[in-house]
Amino acid sequence: MTAELEALRSEVRSWLAANAPKDWRSADTHPAFVESQRAWFAKLVEAGYAVPHWPAKWPGGGRSLAEQKVIYEELAAADAPRLLLSFVSTYHAYSTIEECGSDEQKERYLPAILKGETWCQGFSEPNAGSDLAALKCKAERKGDVYVVNGQKVWSTMAQYADKCLLLVRTSSDGAKQAGITFLLMDMKAPGVTVRPIHQIQGDEEFAEIFLDNVEVPVSDRVGEEGKGWAVAQATLASERGLTLMELSYRMRGSLWRISKLIRENGRENDPGILRDFGRLAARVDSACAVADQFLENRMNGIEGVGDASIVKLTYSRVLREYSLLGVRVGGMGEQYEAIITFGDLNTGNWMADFMNSYAWTIAGGSDEVQRNIIAERMLHMPREPKNWLVAEGAA
Amino acid sequence: MSIDRAELQDAARKAFGESGPAPDAEKSWSLISEMGWLMMAVPEDQGGLGLGREAEGVIHTELGRALVPGPAIAQMLTITALSAAEGLAERDDLLARAMGGEVMTASLSGGHAGNALSCIPDANKASHLLIATDQKITLVPLDGATLTPRDTWDKTRRLFDVALADTSTAYVLAEGAAAKALNEKLQSQLLLALAGDSLGGAEAILGLTIEYLNTRRQFDRPLALFQALKHRVADMKVRHAAAEALFWSRATNDATRAEMGALKALATNAYHMVVEEAVQLHGGIGLTSEYYCHIFLKRATLNNALGGDADYWEEQAGREVLAATNA
Repeated sequence: MTAELEALRSEVRSWLAANAPKDWRSADTHPAFVESQRAWFAKLVEAGYAVPHWPAKWPGGGRSLAEQKVIYEELAAADAPRLLLSFVSTYHAYSTIEECGSDEQKERYLPAILKGETWCQGFSEPNAGSDLAALKCKAERKGDVYVVNGQKVWSTMAQYADKCLLLVRTSSDGAKQAGITFLLMDMKAPGVTVRPIHQIQGDEEFAEIFLDNVEVPVSDRVGEEGKGWAVAQATLASERGLTLMELSYRMRGSLWRISKLIRENGRENDPGILRDFGRLAARVDSACAVADQFLENRMNGIEGVGDASIVKLTYSRVLREYSLLGVRVGGMGEQYEAIITFGDLNTGNWMADFMNSYAWTIAGGSDEVQRNIIAERMLHMPREPKNWLVAEGAA
Repeated sequence: MSIDRAELQDAARKAFGESGPAPDAEKSWSLISEMGWLMMAVPEDQGGLGLGREAEGVIHTELGRALVPGPAIAQMLTITALSAAEGLAERDDLLARAMGGEVMTASLSGGHAGNALSCIPDANKASHLLIATDQKITLVPLDGATLTPRDTWDKTRRLFDVALADTSTAYVLAEGAAAKALNEKLQSQLLLALAGDSLGGAEAILGLTIEYLNTRRQFDRPLALFQALKHRVADMKVRHAAAEALFWSRATNDATRAEMGALKALATNAYHMVVEEAVQLHGGIGLTSEYYCHIFLKRATLNNALGGDADYWEEQAGREVLAATNA
């Protein structure tokens, strides 16, 4: 087993030595970076390293967790770019359509992902962030189509996406979760307007989506009308462990970047820096271990409520520590503004990475929402009263 | 979780679970030896159970959870050293006696928090003392030695300084390169044991704190209803869970001594964070000697000091990672 993994490791390593792009950070515009992402994804698909987490029926799929980790570590060690543009496509879109989609949807959309079709997520709204179920984007059924009106926000790379995983409200009766429906929307459809959001690190990773009488065929609904909340929950849960495992092992494989920075800045014998580096390395390993344990438990059918929240809180915290140590060791070098055309844990500017790390303490359920889940649902502490007016009256 | 781990945990909780925090020392020691825990990691051809590091990890976690007193960690170090003492004529006899519960203690300083003659648990009950350095590893009879009890804040452990009368009757277990390798192994074992003890203790005091917050009422509601407190509890849980995941990963895979040290730092810091919060969340009662919080607090800080503290090991680990990632 270990020998096979080592064989895979050297196979991936030598492929990367010949094929990993070297100049991807030099793209000085967002569209140029996106083009480099498309080219890198196509290359990885061809080599069979793009979707190791997909089942074996797909080219490059069917890798064991141990094999996936080797691939992610080697990609990071070779300083290859992460697949930011295809992230939602290969994780969220894939698991939603594979698990809950119709046969027709699977046939139409899944092979297209490997051909480079990209997806974004239309979940959050200006007034539905942590309280996602309060979403208002409205879809009315008219014959064979839903007519959608409303606004979505924080959609990663929506301005470059071909398709959108869209949560809409089809009914306002009953519990707020009950009237939500899951649609697959064409981003090129008439009435779709995308406006990028300028972020603090100068990047435009997120965007707003405005929907004005956009028609979505009923055949592009996932699951039943009014059952979209369950579809979203199921698929979010199924990708969560996997995405964070990839990211944790990526971070592990990237520790050399901090070593390099320590040497470049002459801090090799600074006990304070060495301590923080030693602690960080253990914390990164603990983030990997938490993700490993989560996935192992899930495969054995013993996932507990809140386990995923622990994985996410650990990763988001360790990511902050990782980028902050880079900011500290880099000193003034990190304080000079750099052109950042994408957000990630390894842009080449630690200050940008530090600012970008907030995306992980907010996106996909904020740290505070995760803490509520752990305290109330995992540790069974009493839940907040549902209606704050009643709570106030009781005080 | 493997079946063995669950079974062992279950047995441990049956043994110590009902006696509550800090059970009786004599009774605990009998239980530990009767259940065969001292022979857990010893190879089967030497009369042990051959279960290895993971099993020891379970035991130390459970001993930490119940705040069990006594020299279990020291005894297991001595047993490991004896088991490795190739060529010592008395080895099988000494090993059998140690596995059967005759106390043969060892320093918990790890060569950092003191020397091989300090930080020695239960020396007053011990027949022998293990003295481990990089040059030589010996087992010294304690007859005639001067024992100075050093009362620690943590009353669940009883530590002594030892002045030896005569070392001429010492058994030599290893010398030279073999001593260096064995000493490194013993230090790793000590670090893993202290990490396990810390994680067990952290989990226990976390559970007791949640129970307290659920029960204690102020402003006409349980304290557990306040989100400010719930989020602190969630943070305690996450710190513990992350350290625990790393603990099992390193207990079941190869790890260097510095990696074990960094694990020990992570685990004792997590214990410290959890118990500090626990004292605060208990309010005034957390400062009283009749309540359990202080017992955990004192054991947590002692665990941090023994075996080399977090500052030391984090620096060592930092140097090692820096050297290993020489890109």
